[in-house]
Parts: sequence; structure tokens; C-alpha cells
Amino acid sequence: MYKYIFRRIYQLVIVFFLFLVTSYILFDAIPGNAFQNMLLNPLLPPGAYEQVLALYGLDKPLSERIVLYITNFFKGDFGYSYKYYPKTPIELIAERLPRTLMLFAMVNIVAFYTGFLIGKILAWRRGSKSETWITITSVFSYTVFYPWFALMMLWFFGYKMDWLPIGKFLYPEKWYDAPFDSDVIFMLMIKFTVIVSLVMFFIYMITRNIESLNSKRNLRFTGFIFTIIGSFIFWNTGDAFTKKIYAADIAYHMILPVLTVTIVAFAGTALLTRTTMMEVLKDDYILTARAKGLSQRRIRDRHAARNALLPVVTSFIFTIVTIIDGSVLTETIFSWPGMGQLILDSVLNEDIPVAMATFSFIGVFALIAHFIADISYAYLDPRIRIQSQG
Amino acid sequence: MKNNNNEKEIAKSLRREAIKKNWRLFKQSRLGMVGLYIVFFFFLLTILQPILFITGMWDESTYNPVVGYVDQTQDFLIVECPKEFPTEKYEKRSDCPGKNEVNVKTLFYADGEVGETIQLNLQPAPPSRRHILGTDSLGRDVFSQIMEGSQVAFLLGILSATLGVGISTILGTIAAFFGGKIDAYLMRQSDLVLMLPTLPLLFIISAFAELKIWHLAVVLGTIGGLGGTVITIKSQALQVKVKPFVDSARITGGSQMKILFSHVLPNVAPLALLFMVFSVTGAIASESVLSFLGLLNIEMSWGLMIYLAQVEGYIFSGLKFWWLILPAGLSVTFLTGGFYLVGRGLDEVFNPRLRKR
Repeated sequence: MYKYIFRRIYQLVIVFFLFLVTSYILFDAIPGNAFQNMLLNPLLPPGAYEQVLALYGLDKPLSERIVLYITNFFKGDFGYSYKYYPKTPIELIAERLPRTLMLFAMVNIVAFYTGFLIGKILAWRRGSKSETWITITSVFSYTVFYPWFALMMLWFFGYKMDWLPIGKFLYPEKWYDAPFDSDVIFMLMIKFTVIVSLVMFFIYMITRNIESLNSKRNLRFTGFIFTIIGSFIFWNTGDAFTKKIYAADIAYHMILPVLTVTIVAFAGTALLTRTTMMEVLKDDYILTARAKGLSQRRIRDRHAARNALLPVVTSFIFTIVTIIDGSVLTETIFSWPGMGQLILDSVLNEDIPVAMATFSFIGVFALIAHFIADISYAYLDPRIRIQSQG
Repeated sequence: MKNNNNEKEIAKSLRREAIKKNWRLFKQSRLGMVGLYIVFFFFLLTILQPILFITGMWDESTYNPVVGYVDQTQDFLIVECPKEFPTEKYEKRSDCPGKNEVNVKTLFYADGEVGETIQLNLQPAPPSRRHILGTDSLGRDVFSQIMEGSQVAFLLGILSATLGVGISTILGTIAAFFGGKIDAYLMRQSDLVLMLPTLPLLFIISAFAELKIWHLAVVLGTIGGLGGTVITIKSQALQVKVKPFVDSARITGGSQMKILFSHVLPNVAPLALLFMVFSVTGAIASESVLSFLGLLNIEMSWGLMIYLAQVEGYIFSGLKFWWLILPAGLSVTFLTGGFYLVGRGLDEVFNPRLRKR
């Protein structure tokens, strides 16, 4: 086992190295460079363009630049952004990441819970009319042409009804005399969300083993109420009280993107849960449970759903990887200045250091997730013979 | 010789029987049939357009989805919009100019006084008998564009799905069957492809290569074929590989190639077919997203229609210009949904645990 893990780590490093080289070559293959629009200036002094290129090292041949970049990369030096010059890519990512995380953490938590719940019910009510209609709705929202759907949502809620703001993540006029950065608020909100979801998870875990379904539900409900009261107290005391209006402003801007992405994202989980749940329902121990005379809800929630959860969670881990990738479109449409816009911006402007840094950020994320998934597969499923896997 | 023929006959009839049985199973899933009808409907649309052009029912100069144009004029009453609202006639600023009216300030190329009527071009024109779904802002027939877009979608979806699933089936089976270094290499390769974020990667590729439909199909097929599908197909092939009949084939002296092609591959094929149907969905969606962002070099597609509607500002006009917004978006949604439903139906055929009884 350890030998396998060591070999995997060794391969991981090679893959990452190849990934860096491939991405650099891809960025370099885009015609032109980040400073070419200087040439449009008719008053440009002769030699200035070449000087700028030499300053940023863009006049060197490709191979030399790749070697330089990779050696610097492993030293921890990611260079400077071409477009936002004195800033480094790390600073840019640190500025943008909380915004994306905030938005998509919300979306994923909501979408996962609703999706799992709906999928569970779908598999259970197989063959009924309501199942057909819910399935049609979720297939529609799963395959809907996303940019079009997002624009329609923007039109309806933002323009026609005028309930929610169109784009951006705050009203600038409210922030003129704000004593904080928006990032401070974002970090506070992320901390709040994480703590609340941890508390909810704890309540779930503690009440998990209570036999009676009724008292379990009551306990969970009480816990939920207490969490709400606790968060109310948190936002109305001390430091958080001064930040409340700003947090509320951001939250108000977040409603529409969260709603739209959730509608699109929940369906994938729901349909997957339905499939795995239906496979589980064919297993013998479900028949045994029925024969024992257990109640339907107990079979559904205790015996079937918990076993159907495993593949769903695995696929959920993989969707976490695609969060940043998938945020490109959402953030462009809702003009939410997060990681997705940073990637798109840097790619289109050929801001190579920033683009490389964001790409490798996603890459490291993906590699670690795949590694963990692989190891756990090999650990959990003896049928997949580990010896055969190189 | 005769014996051989007989064997072939039996094999053929067995195959026919299996297809019949599978079809019967597929028909049981109602949603799968709905999906098949949707796909069939769009397929009809794709072949209807050439037929209409060849038989002369449609005039090429009027109905061509890219360069077709026909004059459509209508009488408008010239009015002057008031500066303050509400007035007696108009309640809000958006009510002026009303129906069949034109603001005098927006008349650039025509002369006219307030109160006169004037003949103006009516583009985008609402649906009429000549244009079933109206025209876009350049006077092109929207219905014809939808048909052209469905041709593009079918061509691209099926081409890239076949290519991608072909690649991943072969690679996945090889990885599972030979194991060792080949497997390690192939798995790390798909890790590498999965690490690259798809949408930005497509932006980069569209920046240095002029993507036409064919190129895009090849690119999407290759990226899809080298990525995650290989891993899934490999795990399926691994399960087939440890089945007793593979061992018995090896013991009876079947060569590796023979075992690979006549025992392992056919058992992976249903899953591959399933992935093919699902990846059609992905390919169509990717094409629409790319042309929605205006990054492709193609003449007409559904994504491009939405892109034009958005760029020209019709999308926030709401349902006033519904024929520019709804048909294209719904076409993408319904065709991908149709393919998805067909895939689900096939899933129930191939995976007995999903069936009802």
C-alpha cells in the first residue's frame, strides 16, 4: 500500500511538471503578446516596445522561458502580473478567491442537499405521476442552455420585476465611506458560513443514532432554531454589528447567482442519486429489511439512502474541482469579479504569469482530489486489483 | 462450408433477437421514448431544410439562413415622445413609441413630420405566414436558422461523440487489459487532460486556431476522449476482466488480441454507447457556449443566434421579441435533453438493476 502511494506521488509530480509545460506552450501559442497594443500608439518612441519586451523577458526563446518559469515556480516565485503590474498573481488570487468560494460554497451546499433529497424521493416513488414530472423538470434544468437560462433569469428578476440587482457584487455608493475592504467582509462571511454548516453537520451527526424518527426530527429542528438564534446574536453584537450592512449588501447581490446556479446544479445530484438509489433498492438487504417489517421511511432513509450516498459524495468531490472552471461562465454573465473572471481576463489578455498561476492552482486542486479518490477506491474496493495498476 | 454458413445464420438471428428484445425494453421507459421523439423531430428539421431548397418551395435568396433577405415594410405613425411621464397617452417611458408608432428623434435616414405616416423596414419582423418564426434584425428567416443550427448540432454532436468515445473505449480497455506501465501512463494522461480547465482551454485553442465545425468536433472529441471517460471505461473493463469467461478463454488458449476484441470489448460496448449518447449532450452544449461567447468561426448555430440577440440588446426587451430569444435557447435545451433522455432509456436497457421488475 505505501509503495503504491509513493509511486503515485512520484507520478503526480511528473504529471504536474508536464502540466506546467503544456500550459505554458498553450499560452505562448496564442498569437501576439500582452504588450502588442502598445504598437497602436503612433507616438511610441522607437525601441520602446522592444525594451518593454526585454524588461519582461518576452524576447527570450520559448524553451529558455519555460525553464526559467518552472525553476522560479518551484522556488515559489510566480512573477508579476503584466496587466496589474506591481501586483503578483498570488495577491490577485488571494483577492479574488474568497468571492468565488463564497458564491460557489453556498451553491454547492444548497444544491447537494436539495439534489440528494429530491433524488431519494424520485427513486422511492418510481412509476408515479409526480416522479415523471419531477424527472422532466430536473432533466430540463440539467440540460438547459446555461447562458441563455442565466440571461432569462437576469431579465426576469433583475429587469422585469426589479427585485434583485443586475450584476456586480455590491452597490459602490454604499461603500464610499466604508472602513473595510470588501475582502474583509467576504472572509467574515465565509467564516460564518463554514461555522454554521459545521454546527449543522454536528447536529446531524449527533442525532444520527437516535432510534425514534420523531424525536430525531424534533431534536434536529430545535438545533436548527438554536443555530438561527446564535447567528442572529452573532451579527448583532460587537465587531460583526458594524459590518452587518455591508455583509447584507453582498448577500443581496448574491441571491440571483446562487439561485440560478442552484437550479442548474441540483439536477445533476438528483439524477445521480436516483440511479444509485435504484440500484441499491434491488439489493437483498432491502428485501430483508422489508421482510423484517420495518417502516417504509426507515428503509428509505436508513438502509437505501445511506448506501446510495457513497457514489454521490465521490462525484461531489469531483464537482468541487470543477467549481473554479465552471465559475467562468457564471461570473462573466453576472459580472461577479472572482476567479473565473480572472482566468478569462488573463487568458484573453495573455497575462501569462497570472494565467499560469490560476491554471496551476486549479491543477493542484484537481490532482489532489484525484489522488485522494484513487487511493480511497483502491482502499475500499478489493475487486479493483491494486497490483495491476502500475 | 455449409456448417459455417449455418453458424453465421444462427448468429445473425440471435443478434436480431437481442436487438428486438432490447428495443422492447427500451420502449418500456416512457421518458426514453419521449427523448427519442424529440431527437427524431430535430432530425426531421435538419433534413427538411435541404428538401425545401431543392424542391423550390423555399427561395434561396429569401430563406438562406446566413445571407437571405426580403423587404418587409410597414406603415408607421410618426410621433414625438413627451419629456415627462405619465401623460394621457403614455403611462411610462417604455410605452413610447407604442405599437405602429415611431419616435421622430430616431428617424435618421427618412424625413417626416409628426403626425404623418411613413413606410419603414420592419426588422426583426414578427412571425407571419411567410416567416413562420419571424426574422432577425438583418431580415433573415429564424426558422431557417433553427434548421441550419440543428444541422450543425447533429453533425458536431455525433462526430465528436463517436470520436471521443471511440478513443476512450480503446484506451480504457487497453489500460484495463494490459495493466502495468501502459495503464499508469494512460491514467496519468487522463489526469493531465482533466487538470486543464475545459472552457479556458477552448478559449486558448480558439485564439490560435480558426475553429470551424469540423475542427471543433475533433477538438471536443479528443479532449472528451482522453479525459474522464477513459477512467470510467477502464473500471468497467476491469470488472469484465476478472469474470470467469475471460479466464476460461485464456486457459483454452485464446490469444491476447482475440480475448481483447471478442470478449472484453463487446462487454464494454454498451457502456461506451451510453457514454456516446451522453457526450453528444456535452458537445452540443460546448458548441453553443463557445458560439454564445462569439469565439467560433461558423456561419450559423443556435448559440450564435442567442449571441446576436444578446449583442443587439434584444434579450432584455423581454418577450416583445420572443422569436429571437426563445426558439434558439429552447432548441439547445430540448435537443440536449432529448439525447439525455435517450441515454437514460438505454441505461435502463443495459443495467438490469435499474429496471422496474
